[in-house]
Amino acid sequence: MIFQRSASKNIVEETVVDTTDEKKPVSEVNDNVDTVVGPSVNVEGDFSSEGNIIVKGTVTGSLHTSKSVTVETGAKIFANVRAGSAHISGEVRGNMKIKDFLELSPSARIVGDIEAKTVTMEAGALLLGKVSMPGLETNDGRTAGRVGGRVKKSDEAATVTL
Amino acid sequence: MYVYLYDNFLNHKKYAAILKSIEIRLTDYGIAGKILHLNNYIDVKPIIDDEIKRGAKTVVIVGNDRTIGHVLSRGATCDCVFGFLPIGQDENSMAEVLGIPIGVDSSDILARRRRQKLDAGWFNNRYFISQLHVLPAKVRVIYDDKFQVTTPFKTEVVVCNFQPFYWKKSKKDKEIRVVHPQDGKLEAFLRPLTKSGWWSYKYEEPSIFPFEEMEIIGDSPFVVEADGKTTKEVRIKIKLARNKIDMIVGKNRKF
Repeated sequence: MIFQRSASKNIVEETVVDTTDEKKPVSEVNDNVDTVVGPSVNVEGDFSSEGNIIVKGTVTGSLHTSKSVTVETGAKIFANVRAGSAHISGEVRGNMKIKDFLELSPSARIVGDIEAKTVTMEAGALLLGKVSMPGLETNDGRTAGRVGGRVKKSDEAATVTL
Repeated sequence: MYVYLYDNFLNHKKYAAILKSIEIRLTDYGIAGKILHLNNYIDVKPIIDDEIKRGAKTVVIVGNDRTIGHVLSRGATCDCVFGFLPIGQDENSMAEVLGIPIGVDSSDILARRRRQKLDAGWFNNRYFISQLHVLPAKVRVIYDDKFQVTTPFKTEVVVCNFQPFYWKKSKKDKEIRVVHPQDGKLEAFLRPLTKSGWWSYKYEEPSIFPFEEMEIIGDSPFVVEADGKTTKEVRIKIKLARNKIDMIVGKNRKF
């Protein structure tokens, strides 16, 4: 069936206009979707993402993001971690290089060296490894390799195993 | 020139009135055109290509999610603008995502011609625009050739392009959770099926991985549903095809 063109052509010419659509502002676009590794999920390999990463399962290999990494209680990471910031409640076996701040909650278990601008460690968190933070230098020009003055201790005494 | 692709189900008597109203509205706007009736076995690409040769500039899909999936799975590469007129309340979730009202009012959106380039998903030689669904099976997933994801359970995989991912934890769970995909990437949702039986099932919380390329490999053939079409595969490769489809969308679209 073919339609007949109606007499109301004038109305149509007003209505049918090719408009290149105005783009919605970036803030309105839904960017809430993080990368989430579920509790029984194993990730193996070079795991990298551009957004936030939430780990509830196991990651083996390496983990990299420019934004934040959250390792939840029960999660296990057997990998070197590079991230913008990190909040650790689970177990990490590997070196961590954090650009901004690292937060260790009471259930955190870290085996490996840490490099971070700011470290917050709550009572109960366990750490086995070297902690280095930019800002302090030894006499021979190397960055300090111990827990420095920037570690924010909570009201209770922080437990640091070195 | 406009070409209208009518789905097979619209031959039913109950759609006659709504189609009549739409045709009248389109005629009023002066954007009426040739009508072609599709059936399930027609490959639409050669048909659209023929119509483009005859001067068609806009191809309008009339039907529901299945119709849009059927047409765009093959016709996404055609050099034309696509429109959509959703009919019927069933299986029309894509209309909401595209900001197109169901029924006669969709003609207004079509006449307004607010165009946007849409990303499409590509898998095993065809496109999908809403979502791809792998029913629970023992599979492993390789993302961007960089890392591999496995679970000890049978896993359901849902890859969303535009359609949001609706999920609930178990059969009795009354709260339906929604995750809206973001533009510029495909989102893969993996849900291990931790318990299943005749009367109940239980899924774990979904894992979410945004990606541009992924491969799903099964130990045995698994069922894949893409835009309403079901196939059985052993290995599928899914990619993102950026700005593939030039589509007329509504102001209230979800992306």
